[in-house]
Amino acid sequence: MNKKFAPILIVDDEPEMCWILENVIRKTGFACKTALSAKEALNLAENDQFGMAFLDAKLPDIDGLELARQLRKKNTRLPIVIVSGYFYIDDLIIEGVVREGLITAFIGKPFEHDEIVDVITRFAFR
Amino acid sequence: MEDKTSIGEDNDLSKRYEQLYTMLLDAIPSSVLLINQHMRIVSANRNFLEKGQRTLVNTIGYRLEEVFPTIILDQMDITKRIRQVIEKKWPVKGERMTYRAPGVPIRIYYYSILPFTWQNRVEGAVLLMDDVTEQVRLGEEVRMVERHLASIVESASDLILSTDRKGRILTWNAAAERLTDFRAAEARERCFVDFCIDEDHKDIYDIYSLIDTRKYAQMQECTLRTSKGTFIPVSFVFSPMKDSYNQTVGVVAVGRDLTERRKLEMELHQAQKFAALGVMAGGIAHEIRNPLAICSSSAQFLQEEDRTPEFRRECADKIHKGIRRTSAIIENLLKYSHPSKTTKTTLINIISLVKETHILVTYHAKILKIEINTSFPRQPVMVEGVATLLQQVFMNLFLNAINAMPTGGNLGIDVKIVDSRVRVQITDTGCGISPREIGKIFDPFYTTSIVGQGTGLGLSLCYSIVKQHSGTIDVESVEGIGSTFTVNLPAHYEGVEV
Repeated sequence: MNKKFAPILIVDDEPEMCWILENVIRKTGFACKTALSAKEALNLAENDQFGMAFLDAKLPDIDGLELARQLRKKNTRLPIVIVSGYFYIDDLIIEGVVREGLITAFIGKPFEHDEIVDVITRFAFR
Repeated sequence: MEDKTSIGEDNDLSKRYEQLYTMLLDAIPSSVLLINQHMRIVSANRNFLEKGQRTLVNTIGYRLEEVFPTIILDQMDITKRIRQVIEKKWPVKGERMTYRAPGVPIRIYYYSILPFTWQNRVEGAVLLMDDVTEQVRLGEEVRMVERHLASIVESASDLILSTDRKGRILTWNAAAERLTDFRAAEARERCFVDFCIDEDHKDIYDIYSLIDTRKYAQMQECTLRTSKGTFIPVSFVFSPMKDSYNQTVGVVAVGRDLTERRKLEMELHQAQKFAALGVMAGGIAHEIRNPLAICSSSAQFLQEEDRTPEFRRECADKIHKGIRRTSAIIENLLKYSHPSKTTKTTLINIISLVKETHILVTYHAKILKIEINTSFPRQPVMVEGVATLLQQVFMNLFLNAINAMPTGGNLGIDVKIVDSRVRVQITDTGCGISPREIGKIFDPFYTTSIVGQGTGLGLSLCYSIVKQHSGTIDVESVEGIGSTFTVNLPAHYEGVEV
């Protein structure tokens, strides 16, 4: 595993979803850190520089998009991907935040692992 | 002298009687004719002369056929009848005669012929004629009014029936025949309760026993049994039937077939269900796509050759769990959205009903960051009712509570037994309802939702469903703090209302 790579942040309130993303991402050579809430994620972001972030849209404390805004404040260049079962790719809100540049990509649940690998290859900081 | 005086006095007296007699004859509103054996008119009173437009001069001493039109005499056979009266000394009573004098409208007479006997010898006959034209006309009118009233009752599409005080059927209109398929003749041999299902009997007996004491007509929904064995819901209004002494002599029941309305109500309930599903769609989709994602990813991992056997087992396990979770959600949804055609009441465990409904809204609540706190009694609590209708009440109240908290909050669901009634309290920490609006929230179509977001029927339907279940629904609210809706329903234990 290449230690130079910044780890990837995974935020989903479902441990199973975190487990899946971890197993997909690890295979690409990236390390991961998982958080089950936005608060936990922001705490992690205090200490770590992440190469990318996968966020669920609906979190128990604040929404994924709101978390994206707060992470963006700390790191303007962080590639953020929303992975959600709540929105669809053509949702107006999603189209808006992509255009705005708040998020880099959107992946709807369920997804093909290649979609995850693809956004990592294209956008993650190495 | 004395004799002369007495004769003179006798003459005087008889003249007085004659005058009195003439006066009386002229005063009575009947026509009176005195006819001798030769069928000549001996005397005629004023009424006869006026009606016949004749004078004494062209009447007295004339033969009957010179005074009456031949057609009447022939038709009624009056000459023959008079002869019979004179011969047999037997009166003819109460015959009807239509008479038309020249130049006046037709008149109808009721006539009698009485033998006139003097010293045991029949000298003639008295023909007494009463003008009943007006009475006949009035009678005709009365009959017309009666016919009209009867045709109103018969043409009405509502059931109109009358019974005596004990409930025995007196009248049964065409609509009642059509609806129940029992003929009026069959119905008349039976009591009103015989046509109702057993469950309605007590209510009907109560209405009958109180019919005198109630100020207003009493309303009652009954289920009628048809001759084919089918059942029809009918909404009845019972009113006392009074006689001219203001005594109750029976009961009039007017009923309306509720089948169509019930069908519309069911459609409305169904539409409300779908509206609720629409509101919850986002949450439901989210809730289903998560386990789907887990299944899908686990399956993809299984396709990778370099995974360890432990990892593969874990994947299979997650797939299994994910599918179970998804199908539980779908099962809940199907159960909820399935149209129920029946409005039959059954004993329902209200605890599991509220729990099931609560699970359906959890997905929606979760994405809105609404925490749900529940409190249920440990024992099942039975309520008699229509499960799908009651579920809709709670669904509506839960969704309303959730809608009141767009930025999150707490939804409290508390079920308790209070004084042998089930009390379900739904508390939110939402926007609350202003005192100005709180009186209107149960009105149909009253809504504060944006056009297209609410039908404005939710709470009014809740109200009518709860009322239908002999329950109550109340609301307490403080603007900016939240609202509490309380539903009270009668609880049943072992089939007995307590």
